This record gives sequence, C-alpha cells and structure tokens, in this order.
Amino acid sequence: MTDIAPEAAIEAAGAAAADAPESRGVRGSGNWLFRFALGWLVLVAVVSALGELLPFVSDPNERDASAISQGPSWSHPFGTASFGQDVFSRVVVGGRISLFVGFMVTVIGIGLGGLLGLLAGYLRGWLDSIVRVIISVTLAIPALLLVIFIVAIRSQSLFTVIVAVSLLAIPALARIVRGATLQVADRDYVKAAQVLGVKKLTILRREVLPNVMPTLVSFAFLTFGIVLVAESSLSFLGLSVEAPTITWGSIIGEGRIKFNETPHMVFLPSAVLFLTVLSLNFVGDQLLKRFDIKEAGI
Amino acid sequence: MIVVLVILAVLVALATWIVRVAGWRFAVQRLGGALLILLLVTFITSFLLRFVGVDAEQKAALRELGVSENAQPCVSALGTGATVEAVNACVDERGLDENAFVQYWGWAKDVLRGDLGPAFYKSGDAEPLTGTIEQRMPRTAWLFLYSQIIALAIAVPLGIWSAYQAGRVPRPIPKIVYPIAVVALLAISVFAGWTLAAALLVGILVPTAVFHGLRGGPGGDTAVNLFAFVLLSVPAFVLGESLRFVFSVQRGWYPLTGYAPWSEGVGAHLKSVWLPALVLGLAATPVYLRLLRADMRQNLQQDFVAVAKAKGMSNTHILLRHVLRPSTVTLLTVAGLNIAQLVNGAIVVEFIYDFDGMGSYLLEAVARREFFAVQTLVALVAVVFVVANTIVDLLYTIVDPRVRAQAPA
Repeated sequence: MTDIAPEAAIEAAGAAAADAPESRGVRGSGNWLFRFALGWLVLVAVVSALGELLPFVSDPNERDASAISQGPSWSHPFGTASFGQDVFSRVVVGGRISLFVGFMVTVIGIGLGGLLGLLAGYLRGWLDSIVRVIISVTLAIPALLLVIFIVAIRSQSLFTVIVAVSLLAIPALARIVRGATLQVADRDYVKAAQVLGVKKLTILRREVLPNVMPTLVSFAFLTFGIVLVAESSLSFLGLSVEAPTITWGSIIGEGRIKFNETPHMVFLPSAVLFLTVLSLNFVGDQLLKRFDIKEAGI
Repeated sequence: MIVVLVILAVLVALATWIVRVAGWRFAVQRLGGALLILLLVTFITSFLLRFVGVDAEQKAALRELGVSENAQPCVSALGTGATVEAVNACVDERGLDENAFVQYWGWAKDVLRGDLGPAFYKSGDAEPLTGTIEQRMPRTAWLFLYSQIIALAIAVPLGIWSAYQAGRVPRPIPKIVYPIAVVALLAISVFAGWTLAAALLVGILVPTAVFHGLRGGPGGDTAVNLFAFVLLSVPAFVLGESLRFVFSVQRGWYPLTGYAPWSEGVGAHLKSVWLPALVLGLAATPVYLRLLRADMRQNLQQDFVAVAKAKGMSNTHILLRHVLRPSTVTLLTVAGLNIAQLVNGAIVVEFIYDFDGMGSYLLEAVARREFFAVQTLVALVAVVFVVANTIVDLLYTIVDPRVRAQAPA
C-alpha cells in the first residue's frame, strides 16, 4: 500500500495473519528471506547512523562543477545531482531523517497507542467508549490530507511532522492493540487470575501485556514501514522538513524535475526506499505469523 | 447538489429499511453514531485552524498593525498586500476572535447553506470553492472509479485463484523447469540487448507467472502472495513516477496534455486517465487481494463447503457461490475504508501527472496558504467518508443476516 493509511494498510499488511497454518508464507525460503530483510534493515540503520564517518560517504551538500547530473560510476555509485552533489551520500544522510521520523513515530505510536489500546481493551467501560470514538473520528480523515493540513498550518519542521504523523499513528495502533487485548482478555488464564483475586493492573502487566507484546512488536515493524512511506510522500510533495534538510522523499522529488537527464536520481533512492519498506513489511509479517498464538501447535 | 440529494435519498431508503428489519434502536444507534462522528470530525478540522503557527512576537506585530492577534489565517489567505479593513472583515466573517464553538457554528451554517467560501482568497474576485469542486470533482471521481475497477479486476480473480490453489496439490510439472525457464529468458534478454530493468522484469516475472500459473498448488499461492507483498511495499509516488517515465516520457503512450472529458469521445477520455487510474488501482490491489484471499481461506474451511462438496457441486460453483459471497462483505467494508486511502493516493498521483483534479487543487491551496478552503475540503472529505461507510455498514446488515441478528431487538 502506498501512503499512510493507518487503518486499511496496517490491516492489509497484517491480513495474512489470518491464514491457515499450512500456508505460512514462504516456508523454506522464508527463513532465508527473513534474514536477508533483517540484514538489510541493520545495514541501512548502521550506515545512515554513521553517515559521514564512513570512508565512502562524502559531504552530501558538496558541489562539484566537474560532475553535474552524471550517471552512476565508481566514484559516485548513485550518480550525481544537478549541482554535482554525490547522490549516494545524500541517500545515506537523507535516510537519517527519514528513519528518525519513522522511528520516533513508531515509538510514540506504540507507546501511547499501545497503552490506550491495552487499557481500553482490558478495563473497558468509559475509557473504552472514549478510545473507540477517537478511533472512529481519526479513521474518517484521510491521513495524508490531515498531515498536510497540520504541517501547513504549523510549520515544516521535524517536530511538527513527527507530531502530525503520530497523531494518526496513535489511534490506528490503539485500535489494533485493543483488538488483540480483547482476545487475550477472554482467555482462561486471565479469567483464572481474576478469580484468584489478582489486582487488575497486575493481571494487565503480567498476563495480558506479555501476550499482546508479539502483536505490538510485529506492528511496530509494519508501522515503521507505513510511516516511512508517509514521510517520503510528504517530502516528495515538498511538504515535509524544509529544504536544506535532505530526506529520501526530497531527493526523489528533486530528481523528478529533471527526470530525463537524471533518472538515476529517482530510481536509485526509490529502490533503497522500496527495499527498506519491503524489508520492514516482510519482517513484521513473518513475526506476526510466527507469534500467532492461534496457530501454534504443541 | 444532485449528488447530495441522491445520497440523502439512498440514506433515507436504507434507514427505513433498517428500521423495518432491525428495529428502531439499531437504526438510531448506527445513524446516531455516524452523526456524532460527523460533528466531531468537522469540529476538529475547524478547531485546528486556531493553531496556525504564530509566536508571541508575531502576535504583537499583528496587534500593532491594528488587527486581531488571531488574524494569521486571514493574513496568509489574503496575502501581504491586504488592507487592514479587509483582514478585519475576514476575521469577523470567519469568527477567528470568537470561541471555538461559535467559530465552528459560523462555518457549519455557511456550509449547510451551500456556501463553501472562495477557492482562492488572493485572486481578486474570488471564485467560489463550489465552482472549483464542480469543475474538478468529476475528474477525480472518474479517476477513483476506474482505479477501483482496475484494482478489483486484478485482485478478485487472483485472490480467488490463490485461495483455491493454497489447499491443492500442484500439477505434476517438475520444479526444475522454473529455474531453467528463468535462466533461459534472462539469457535471451541479454543477447537481445535489453536494459537491465527490462531483462530482470521479463526474465523473472514472466516465467514465474507462467510456471506457477500452470502448476498451481501452494507454490502458486505463494507467488501471488509475493506479488501482493511487493505491490504493497511500493510507495505510490515511486510507482507513479516510474510508470510516468516509462509510458509518458519514453514511450509516449500516455499524453501529459491533461484531462479530456467524456464529451471529447470515449477514446480521448480513457486515454487521458488510464495511467493515473492504473497507479491508483495498483496501489489498492494488494489491500483487496490479501484480504480477499485470507477471508476466502477461512471460508473454505467452513462446514458448508464440505457439505456442498459432498453434495457433488463443482469446485467453481462452490468457490463463486458459497465461498466468495460471504467474502464480498469483507471486500465491501475494506472498499469503504479505502476511500481515505484513495484520497491520499489522489493527492500524490494528481501531483505527478499534472492532473487537474481535487488532489492537485488541495496541494495548490496548501501552497498558497488558503487554510479556509483546505479546512472545508478536509471536513467535506471526512463527511463523504463517514456517509459512505455508514452506507456500507447498513448494506452489511442487508447482505449478512448474522449482523442483523446481533442487533438489539
């Protein structure tokens, strides 16, 4: 799926979880692909975190008049931009902002949304009603549209982008965690603990949370992917963090202006973005299947 | 206006039907819930306008100019050349100095009267937003319609096929044929001197599709799954940009000359929308495909399938009449929820293809700081979304008797 669709996309990403046991995705090759996806994610994270410290990454804003809009070569593996900047270095450094936004939103979304969903799903009552209304309301506003609106009203700063996207991620995740909590809360061991007179919060912490955790972790990966796409779409449209700051979306958006001369500026960063999102989706999907309690045998 | 009337008529008809079948309480509950959400959503969008980024210094500057310190939305909408009187009139009209509820009520009253305000404040004699919508909405609506047709045309057959094949034994085609076919096609493409991308695409996709299509079984299911997975992970703007490069820039199959209405002929019309519609459709495909497949797999395990099989019904009949039918309910729900997704996609796709629909208008309005128009549109999209989903919700009760049974009598 494409943009941020907290609801539909997350649901679609997780739809395979409802599959029957024998169709556990890409069985034999699944393990191999899973490792490959994890490896790619680690690679992307480490390289963009270290950035300019690495020998093969130069200053992303350094202009080189002798190498303008060149295709990929050994000295510039991703080619150069319209002022001779090294596109590979831009992708590495731009990835830092993109990944940072994705990470922050995921942490905030899982933290707050997860907490809300957990409490609403287990305690029910008035809290549940409020959470359900919040979920329905945010569901009714197209996510990208709302983020664009908020970012336009406030400012195109990193903080605003993170807050705006989080505002949509929180209810989406609350909804999923609430659903998972409702299932767990219905299980016998939870009922047994209740009958034994264990305090509600203790049950929540010791019985419910550990069993909701796998869903949380899986959806953390799926959310990360969706947020990454959202942020990239935003900066592709020129509405994310402002100009001197580079993100993946802004590199692609920059490249599209002179698409005919520099197709590599669109295709190569797009490929990196695509592979990262694919890996995140794949890892999340596989974890969801592995953790799925319904399907586990003895 | 006619559209609104039609929607209202449908809603009223549905409501009366629901009241007859499921009773008053159920109808009031559903429609009341929808109404509450409508109120909240529109209120929130109106409320957001109060947060237009202004710090204390800017507020002081605004006061010095002789306008209200809340005037920022008006100042940005009217532009720097605006007179103090014009800004004050705008603040007054928009109720920016009032509290949030009064401001909301002023907006809601105008909208209910059909006055959506100007599309662009800055352009002298302001064109009303309703005019812009009338002009641009059909384009986006056609785009949506075609994209949904494309998405369902791909997703439904593939979904049925892969759910069916997942539980079947593959046809006896040896597995070794597949790598041989891949290598052979790759070799051919290298000798033919194709570009790397084309070689990889043709050399891997074609043999995979043909091999698994013929062989079937869980392998075929996995192949469809992977296809959906890859499509799910491609951002819309990457897909749109790539396809634009291939089909418009390199091949010239899609003219970037803008939208052609039906009156210019079917061919011209379709030619002017097919690529953006395809991109939007491909973006929606994996959502439908995966959900349909997962849902059908569950249905296939139901007892009624075994009974139908025991009665000697053909597999096709069982699949289409017994398994697909309950799954259409899920599909309908997701299609309803997907409207929000479509709007997001339209913003991106219309930007890429310079398609003058609502999405590109929205971007333009944001770029020109026309917050009032954007606010109204966000609210209207939300209204359409809630209405559409309420209709789906009510249709649900018609299609699936089980939902009705759960309703409090």
